[in-house]
Amino acid sequence: MLKIKNLTKVYDDGTVALKDVSFEVPDGEFVAVIGLSGSGKSTLLRCINRLIEPTSGEIWWNDVQLSHISGEELRRARRQIGMIFQHFNLVDRSTVLTNVLSGRLGYVNPLASILGRFPEEDMQRARASLARVGIPDKADNRADELSGGQRQRVGIARALMQEPEMILADEPVASLDPALAHSIMRHLQQINQEDNITVLCSLHFLDLVQQYSTRAIALNEGKLVFDGAPHEIDDAKFIEIYGREAERIG
Amino acid sequence: MSDKKKNGRPRHWWKTAVIIFVIFLLYAYGLQVTKVNLEEPLEPKRQENLVSLIRSLARPHLFDYETETRSTAVSIHMPCPEDIKASQVSIEGRSALMVPNCATTTQDRISITGDGFLPNADGLIGWRPPGADSTRRIGEFKVGPDGHLEITFTMPDIRATAEPQKLELVEIVNRRIIGLSDTTMEALDKIVETVLMALMASTIGTLISIPLSFIAARNLMQNVKAPISGIMSGVILAPIIGGLGWWLASGIVGPVLSENSTALASLQAGLSPLGFVGNFIFVIIELIILTLPLVFGLIGAFTALSVGGRFGQRMTMNLADAPNRALNIVTTVLGTAVLFIILAYSLTWINLLGIREFMPETTQAQLSMFTVPGLALGIIAGLLTLRRPARHHYPIGLLIYNITRNTFNALRSIEPLMMGFVFVVWVGLGPFAGILALTLHSVADLGKLFSEEVENIDEGPVEAVTATGANQVQSIVYAVVPQITPHYIAYIFYRWDINVRMSTIIGFVGGGGIGFVLNRTINLTAYSQASVMVIAIAVIVTVLDNISSQIRSRII
Ligand SMILES: Nc1ncnc2c1ncn2[C@@H]1O[C@H](COP(=O)(O)OP(=O)(O)OP(=O)(O)O)[C@@H](O)[C@H]1O
Ligand SMILES: [Mg+2]
Repeated sequence: MLKIKNLTKVYDDGTVALKDVSFEVPDGEFVAVIGLSGSGKSTLLRCINRLIEPTSGEIWWNDVQLSHISGEELRRARRQIGMIFQHFNLVDRSTVLTNVLSGRLGYVNPLASILGRFPEEDMQRARASLARVGIPDKADNRADELSGGQRQRVGIARALMQEPEMILADEPVASLDPALAHSIMRHLQQINQEDNITVLCSLHFLDLVQQYSTRAIALNEGKLVFDGAPHEIDDAKFIEIYGREAERIG
Repeated sequence: MSDKKKNGRPRHWWKTAVIIFVIFLLYAYGLQVTKVNLEEPLEPKRQENLVSLIRSLARPHLFDYETETRSTAVSIHMPCPEDIKASQVSIEGRSALMVPNCATTTQDRISITGDGFLPNADGLIGWRPPGADSTRRIGEFKVGPDGHLEITFTMPDIRATAEPQKLELVEIVNRRIIGLSDTTMEALDKIVETVLMALMASTIGTLISIPLSFIAARNLMQNVKAPISGIMSGVILAPIIGGLGWWLASGIVGPVLSENSTALASLQAGLSPLGFVGNFIFVIIELIILTLPLVFGLIGAFTALSVGGRFGQRMTMNLADAPNRALNIVTTVLGTAVLFIILAYSLTWINLLGIREFMPETTQAQLSMFTVPGLALGIIAGLLTLRRPARHHYPIGLLIYNITRNTFNALRSIEPLMMGFVFVVWVGLGPFAGILALTLHSVADLGKLFSEEVENIDEGPVEAVTATGANQVQSIVYAVVPQITPHYIAYIFYRWDINVRMSTIIGFVGGGGIGFVLNRTINLTAYSQASVMVIAIAVIVTVLDNISSQIRSRII
């Protein structure tokens, strides 16, 4: 269960990216985060696992106040929350296997991992994750030899290594073509349904939102302007979320 | 037409004139200051010097020769007898005619013509002083293709005698190389020394600069923030725990070193049968023993900083505002005082601006003198912490980044040659001083270049790895290191290249290597030996340049 209370983020340059945002996500939901570019979606997702320091407000994750922990405690919390990125954020010069194994860094012995040693169990887990996202034969390729769709699968496999209870996905399909986008979204849906992992996913296209998510929240200039089922987004809501000039295409 | 002129910008011709005039003055003054003198290089004496230098350089003393010679003696009178005649000799088909066959002053010009000499042979004119059994070389000649010979030379400084004296025309009939000259052997020896100096300096420099490059990278340091109580607790603890580490280590090492004679000497004796490998192991062990107090001190200080930081973090998280502020003030007062005392003591020690004159003699008295102003400063700083929220995190990372980066920049701007000078004073003449100088410069240079590479990485992977719950070291190893490795390797070779170049000349200030010999031979005006050194340097620099650029192009 994720609970956000009065979350505000003001960047050092004075930009108010999030303004008093509050919402809850019960376990097992697939929540889409929508909003215009610059509305604060990335900021919201990054505040949750503290890649960005929130300015004020509370973030509760299973009775742990994420906004008030640091060091070891924070790392322990982070490893339960997987993250997937628009630009995949793989280490290009490392192998796919190493990239996937890095999802395990929060669990393993730090010294052994620095020397590049992982338990046999984790090696098997890594190969199983790759098989699950459909690229078992790419383990030994360098990450930059893969196509965009394959790279995002590696990203998902890396998140799966964390055995997460929640996955934060920041526009996971924005740099992929529509066919690949659907295949990646289906993977996320499968993970959500089979493993009961909560998914919080920012998306740009309303058709994807309606097809895959169980709930949607919308941001506009850092304020929460919608929280409800995807099909409730009618024309009036749409204008409230995206502004008057926007035209509905999805 | 006239409209156009009005619209165009008015030409301040006088401004242009002033600028030209100023530039003219600048160059005119420059010419005078730099003592440009076109006559000097054209003077015959200077030209002769240049020619002889170039000729000696062009004849490097690379090999030892065995030469077979044939000599033709001509007699010469000093001073001239009444009836000036020419001397003529002819032996074994060779004939030589010397006109005149005498000299009154030592500057008289004399000419010799001859025929029947060995075509194209090189030769020299030797003069045998009366009663001596060896000749002194006074000139050179080259026989024409038809065996014809024509020489003019200035009469050397010959003592006047009643008897005629002998000049010898020595032709080189045959010349065989019998081996490398001593100079060449020395050059080879010193080139090896030079390359190894560069290797050592590059290796040690790289090892030190890699960890430093991470704390000199803005992107890694800008998120390192800590509450003031954490920073100051670290500062208070650092000298205590660091000093404790130093004291403990020197307590262990001290006895070992003072018994030096027994423990270390027997170790050295035990290793010596292994030759230079044994010496290597011994030097490493000695190095570890010598630097142990320093290492322990540093480890202690770093532990203190991290323990202090953690303590501050924990307190800040758990304390209410008021006690938090109290803690902030107390730690800041003490921490600032400690910093001030350390700084003031260091400055006194190096006697900045002759400050020692006004200070008490003993360390104890000095320290107690600094305490009061230190505490006063601390109280001001402590009160200043009230200006910020109690839990404010100060960007300590950026401060460390700035200090490290600026130190790198300052050190980089000092020529290794000057560093070599300082180290020669400290550790004495020889390659060790050179290694230390090059190492210091390499650390600064590589540290800066490396940290710029760290700043240029793609932040995405770092973010991703951090999000998995990895700690700072893990995320550097998994997300930063793979991105920077090829650049680091390229820079290491680039630096090795520079170090080879630098180590060839660092000998000029006594830093060992081939430059040392080059400097010596130049001072002795032994130019044909210097020439060998110059050739050796050129060869080694070219070869290593090629190797390193090949390796670099293969890696990137
Ligand atoms: N590091 C930063 N410093 C200052 N302002 C920032 C920073 N990052 C983002 N912002 C600003 O915060 C606001 C929200 O940005 P954010 O990236 O969260 O939007 P977004 O909804 O993810 O946009 P997009 O759909 O384009 O990814 C924007 O106005 C942006 O310019
Ligand atoms: Mg974004």
